[in-house]
Amino acid sequence: MDMSIDHPGPAHPSHTYSEPPPPPPPPMISSEGVVATDITQKFLSAAATLDPGQLVKDGFFTLFEAVGALEIMDSKMDSGCLAPGESLDDEYDFTRQLLPSEVIGIIDQLLCLEMAWHLGYPLSQTLLTSVYIEAMLMPSPNNIQEAHFIRDPNSKAAKDPMTTVLRAYCLGLLKACYYVNEHIKNEHYYEEEDFVTNTYHRSLLDNMDREEIREEIMSARRLVHSLRPDLAAGVADALCFRLELRTAFLRAIELSELRSNPESLSLPWVQMQAVWEPINKSRHLSTPVPEAFSTKIQRRLASTVPPRPIVQPSFEETYEHFKRLFRDGIDVLEVLNYADSQSLLQNFVLTFQARKPQPLVYIRTMLQSFLFKDMVILGHLSIRHVMDDDLSMVVLPGSQLLDPANDAVEAPHDGRFAVAHQMETFRQRAAQSYLDIFRALCQNRCRVRRTLCHSIQDWEAVQMEAEDIDQLLQIQLDEQPLAYPADAPPGSPPAYSLPLSSWAYLYKLRLMEWIVQLGFELQIYQADELAGMYWYLSHLAKTRARHVERIQAFTVKRNADLRGARSPRYTVAMEAEYARSMRYLRATLLDAVITWELAEALSCLYTALLRLGLVAPPPRPYSADELRYDIRMKPFAAVRLPDLPTFDEFTRQSEQTGVSTARLLEYAHAVSRSAQKGHVVVGQMSEQEAFSVGAHDRWAARAKQRMQSVIAVNVALSTMQSGLGKAGLGGSGADADGAGERARRVLKAEVPKPEACYHDWWIVPKISLLL
Amino acid sequence: MRMDPTPPTALSSKPPIELQYIQYDHSLEAQYLPAIRALISKDLSEPYSIYVYRYFLYQWGHLCYMALNPIDSSLVGVIICKLEHHVSHSPPTHRGYIAMLAVSAPFRGQKVATSLVEKAIDAMAQKNADEIVLETEETNVPAMRLYERLGFLRSKKLHRYYLNGNSAYRLVLLLRHIDPDAAADYALDDDKDYIM
Repeated sequence: MDMSIDHPGPAHPSHTYSEPPPPPPPPMISSEGVVATDITQKFLSAAATLDPGQLVKDGFFTLFEAVGALEIMDSKMDSGCLAPGESLDDEYDFTRQLLPSEVIGIIDQLLCLEMAWHLGYPLSQTLLTSVYIEAMLMPSPNNIQEAHFIRDPNSKAAKDPMTTVLRAYCLGLLKACYYVNEHIKNEHYYEEEDFVTNTYHRSLLDNMDREEIREEIMSARRLVHSLRPDLAAGVADALCFRLELRTAFLRAIELSELRSNPESLSLPWVQMQAVWEPINKSRHLSTPVPEAFSTKIQRRLASTVPPRPIVQPSFEETYEHFKRLFRDGIDVLEVLNYADSQSLLQNFVLTFQARKPQPLVYIRTMLQSFLFKDMVILGHLSIRHVMDDDLSMVVLPGSQLLDPANDAVEAPHDGRFAVAHQMETFRQRAAQSYLDIFRALCQNRCRVRRTLCHSIQDWEAVQMEAEDIDQLLQIQLDEQPLAYPADAPPGSPPAYSLPLSSWAYLYKLRLMEWIVQLGFELQIYQADELAGMYWYLSHLAKTRARHVERIQAFTVKRNADLRGARSPRYTVAMEAEYARSMRYLRATLLDAVITWELAEALSCLYTALLRLGLVAPPPRPYSADELRYDIRMKPFAAVRLPDLPTFDEFTRQSEQTGVSTARLLEYAHAVSRSAQKGHVVVGQMSEQEAFSVGAHDRWAARAKQRMQSVIAVNVALSTMQSGLGKAGLGGSGADADGAGERARRVLKAEVPKPEACYHDWWIVPKISLLL
Repeated sequence: MRMDPTPPTALSSKPPIELQYIQYDHSLEAQYLPAIRALISKDLSEPYSIYVYRYFLYQWGHLCYMALNPIDSSLVGVIICKLEHHVSHSPPTHRGYIAMLAVSAPFRGQKVATSLVEKAIDAMAQKNADEIVLETEETNVPAMRLYERLGFLRSKKLHRYYLNGNSAYRLVLLLRHIDPDAAADYALDDDKDYIM
């Protein structure tokens, strides 16, 4: 503990502070059973042995404690510190008769505060600033009748119609908040970063029955209907829509626990969408009641911090956020229509989470509970089912390794017994890592990237362990090796399919690509790093393409063997599995090749821009290139396959010294055009071909954005070439002395922010001609 | 409460005057600590308690530099740092951390902040720091430019890192090579090593 104090006195002649006024006399403390001792003198004499500002601390006093410490009588730290004349609480008269427009005003403000809470601000600065909510929750009500601003049920004010309407609204609101809070707590999220689940010891009607609350809201709606003749035009509807929003929200929450068919689950969400527009349009009927909200309530909460300001988005912002919440709430339900493992992961979860702005944490945790709750995937699939589906699609179509009948074999000498055992060992090792990818993708974007950095190390281990199992299985199955690659030098050892480790390697490569691409999306890289990072991305994507080709070669061979042998084992079902796997491998190969080509084109373009000084690195007097490479590549340093390129290799590859700038741009054009051709195929893919069932629109939209990025690269390259031509820097001219200076008189390059690009993973520079 | 060491700066048209840069010393507390607090608190929604300042200044006063106006010796800018063995990943690195940096508004745009950061880096390098890190608010473009010009790289983005809901970037300056086989990676650090 910091024992330092500032104190006056002759012991410290160096002291420059002016003499403070004499302290007030100590208060007389008297109470039965308490013996007060005045320690003022003891304290002062002990303190006098310290210098002002001297810190006496033990090793356990950390920065955390220092930051958590409070200064008494500083109004920004001391929650009990009041300004002269300030009262501790606000007086609010709950018996006042609220106008209908005031009820609308309070509800609309509550909507804004509810959204602020969804966005990650604590209840203390949002909903718990409402005096009505505080009155309803404190003291904690034991039953629905007590959940009222006015606890005397016989008072006239408690029965006032407008108070009744507001109360019903608050009941529905708080119960929904309770469910949302519990729901989020049950899934993976980051406290304070994504969301604050602290309720400051307030019970959000935890024990109140949902049906009773619904009944209160229904009866309030009937009440409004009965008052309709006496209310101004539109007011009754405005109140009813707001109440309906609450019942629908509760219903949506209730249904989402079922994980059944999306169409029926979406009804309350559609209903919320339907009432949201008229709620927005009836805002003009509201009269704000600012005195119904107070930061002072925070002093009553279980919290040591002084009151902080109310966080309240505007109604316009709130409107947009809720609109997105409802849309995302409907869309997320689609995940329950399982088609295949790749559509689920790559295309549903990946594209859903890539939405900008990202879905709110409530929706993201809802997706998690759909996926994983009780270890049952989407409410009806076993983890094994999804994993085996994936293994079958990626590496093992029609394979006896995945035959469920293996499990029934009891004779230890039977090969199938051993296969079942090995496969189970593998599943047990890989299942968590596999599910973790889905879980990671449900986090906020910053966390997705950081979590994937962990995951690749885990997948490195999965791959290694899988390879051991592969080797046991290939003996068990008496697998015949293949000369692969076809152009392998004579004498090369024959290759085995290694299906399980191939599967793991494919995931690891994809995760590595995503880490780099999220780096672009999150603006981790500076402009002069883009040449190198796009080169590295192209290197990873190329590695993935080659790996997919290898898997393809073995799949084709196994399929040919089966057909050639006219094996009775080759059933129609197996044929379909092979066809599906080949389709998947084609789609993923195409994706890898386009990624590789587009990344390579961008790398060349940025390298040319760097050479000409159109993109310039900062001076960086304190940093060496190689040390920056250490930092940049740290996430990948622990991965052995593919090994991290050495700094020299990286520099050579990304700078391409020895290749003329003109040639660099021509080459970039060639690969970019090839990516464009690939995209023509992508553009025609059906949801079955793209493995985007349930998410095809989002998948297609992202594919289109990537296509637009390719075109933007082509345009940038053409502008570069024509600019260099105009500056007389065609051919080898671009590498001549002083070329940069001349090029900069003609050309300008701007590196846009990801949100200004067609696709946030593809940062295409905007090149313009100055002349 | 989290620290953004560098509040947003604004350009000033005042002609530069030759400022005096001095290393902090405990004997200067009475003279300068109130001014340091005032200068740093100006851009903070949540003030730091006196303990936070003393936590740094008492242990790492030698890593605190002040820019003074030569006319009246008043405080114009200040940087506060710490340097510790960082133990959350192995092997432990000797990690410098820039906790606070502030320049008074009329003196902004005169490279005062850059000079302060340079002095702090030099001092930490001399004390054998392996690396220097800090966080800065994503909206604080001038601060990011300042650090990146000196050689810092963004290593990761921290979602909603500050109380105001803004995200941050972790910036890293590596001063020497750290054995990659032994060191865990920067993207994996727990960010809460420093402040809460």
